Amino acid sequence: MKVTFKDVTLSYDGKKDTLKHLNFQIPDGTLVSLLGPSGGGKTTTLNLISGLLPATSGHIYFGDEDVTKKDALARKVGMVFQNYSLYPHLTVRDNIAFPLKMQKVKKAERYKRAEELAKLVHVDDQLDKKPGGLSGGQQQRVAIARALAKSPSLLLLDEPLSNLDARLRIEMRQEIRRIQQETGVTTIFVTHDQDEALHISDNIMVLAQGTIQQFSTPTVLYERPANLFVAKFIGEPVINTLPADALKADLVSSVPASILAQAKTAGIRSEAIVPFDNGQEMVAKIHAGLKQARKYGREATANLAYNGETLLSTEMAGLPASQTDGDFFLTKAGFFLFDEKGALIFGGDAHDE
Amino acid sequence: MAKKISRVLLYLIVALGALTMLIPFLWMISTSLKSGPETIKVPPVWIPQVLRWHNYVEAFHAAPFLRYFVNSVIVTVVTTVGQLLTSILAAFAFARLRFWGKNFLFMIFLGTMMIPGEMLIIPNFVTLSKMSLVNTYGALILPWLASFFTVFTLRQTFQSTPDQIYYAAKMDGASDWKYLWTVLVPMSKSTITAVTVLEVIGSWNSFMWPLIVTNSEKMRTLPVGLQAFTTDAGTQYQLLMAASTFVIIPMVIVYMFLQKYIIAGISKAGLKG
Repeated sequence: MKVTFKDVTLSYDGKKDTLKHLNFQIPDGTLVSLLGPSGGGKTTTLNLISGLLPATSGHIYFGDEDVTKKDALARKVGMVFQNYSLYPHLTVRDNIAFPLKMQKVKKAERYKRAEELAKLVHVDDQLDKKPGGLSGGQQQRVAIARALAKSPSLLLLDEPLSNLDARLRIEMRQEIRRIQQETGVTTIFVTHDQDEALHISDNIMVLAQGTIQQFSTPTVLYERPANLFVAKFIGEPVINTLPADALKADLVSSVPASILAQAKTAGIRSEAIVPFDNGQEMVAKIHAGLKQARKYGREATANLAYNGETLLSTEMAGLPASQTDGDFFLTKAGFFLFDEKGALIFGGDAHDE
Repeated sequence: MAKKISRVLLYLIVALGALTMLIPFLWMISTSLKSGPETIKVPPVWIPQVLRWHNYVEAFHAAPFLRYFVNSVIVTVVTTVGQLLTSILAAFAFARLRFWGKNFLFMIFLGTMMIPGEMLIIPNFVTLSKMSLVNTYGALILPWLASFFTVFTLRQTFQSTPDQIYYAAKMDGASDWKYLWTVLVPMSKSTITAVTVLEVIGSWNSFMWPLIVTNSEKMRTLPVGLQAFTTDAGTQYQLLMAASTFVIIPMVIVYMFLQKYIIAGISKAGLKG
């Protein structure tokens, strides 16, 4: 089901707007992440989509139908909560079948459906257990199966992986992706973990301070961040930022003077600082001091001292251990300039939208 | 070693406490098997010379105990079920619903818990007699159909269930009514069992109120019926104790089967969460 927000605003107290004039469209059958820091408005946005919260103004459409005034039940959304919220007194089978029981589906039929869903999410060997006897990952699977039981128009997941340990989290995010692709249900996934969002989503909506910072594919988000906030939020390690003034002398030849005049902040991804000219398009050659070179598995990192700033590079393989300074290159991909308001004014051209 | 000693000491104290609680019951059973003179002998006799099982038969025939038993069962069952229904609904309203004056109302109800039960006897009696209910089941049951203690205990339990379970149920298509009966009540099983048992015992043992609102033999309950052994000429203790024994047996059985829930329920409601 396609979801459209038209100028949606939400205010809890009538004074301060928690969400400001949201406009977006989520295409049918895709998996979209709502990503952002705590308090950025992502769970609020999810609750607006689910109908648990009414919009203060604006309109919400599912497909072509205006659902702004409809409640959660009428919107037929399936939801998975952060703590799973399974019914502790019911078996896995009865948990999954519960929404169908509420719809007065016959017992044999709803159990058949519950068993199909249990198979889909790989808990078909746990059907007679109660949630208390399951591991976190299994409870998560049951919660997804229950949300899918009523064949929802949308599947909403509110930070579903945050209660799991690191390894299980990676396994479960792949599982969620698999289940989404097998069922084809439009899925909206809330997370504060950018890595999770990058791996799982067709599209990512970055939300901060109640507004959409950027809404596009993971690749575009990384390679052409719309503003400084997105550039800093997406990517691990965090992008190097420094005042544009510190770099200006080295950029004169590659960046038009008009852009350079507006530039306030430069952002350099750590993989965009390379020790040799490797044939990529370059924006600058800088001379910098080299300190704290380290090697972790396949990654070799170093801190560079440049004009009083420290830059982190992850491409320092092959440098002699004794080297203390040298010339380094900045590749065009992964180099950005932002103006006073934080908007992107240079970089990201390598990618066409 | 010190740990062991303190453990032994602990068990000793607990055992002593248990024994203190048991002595009246043992005394009751012992007395129920004595002859008349033995009951008032000094120093007291613990084991009668002859075990007079016949006391039980005699006691049972001394008054229409079968009728009393039926009355007690009717009153206890209807009171308990009725009180549970009103309490569950009220507790749900106080725990989950939003309505005007909720907290104010709750405070007022909470305040009623400070009024001693004895003070209510006269107003309740007047009300019931105006309704011409004296000497009927109505008088025995009606005043006990609501109990704020039960409401309060259940509200605490209902409130400690996570909000998200409620939202999940709502999304799954459950109305408030369905949520209450298919999710919340089963989830609160231990507390509900605890208040049920407390109410059953309280209702079964209740003496003062049935004594006041009934004067015909037909309407009496078991505890009131025990008075049959007290006459102007004195009390036949051995028969009174024999009757007392068979009056409390149903409650002992109920308690033995459900004590696990009673303890769990009460401690849970107290700790909240």
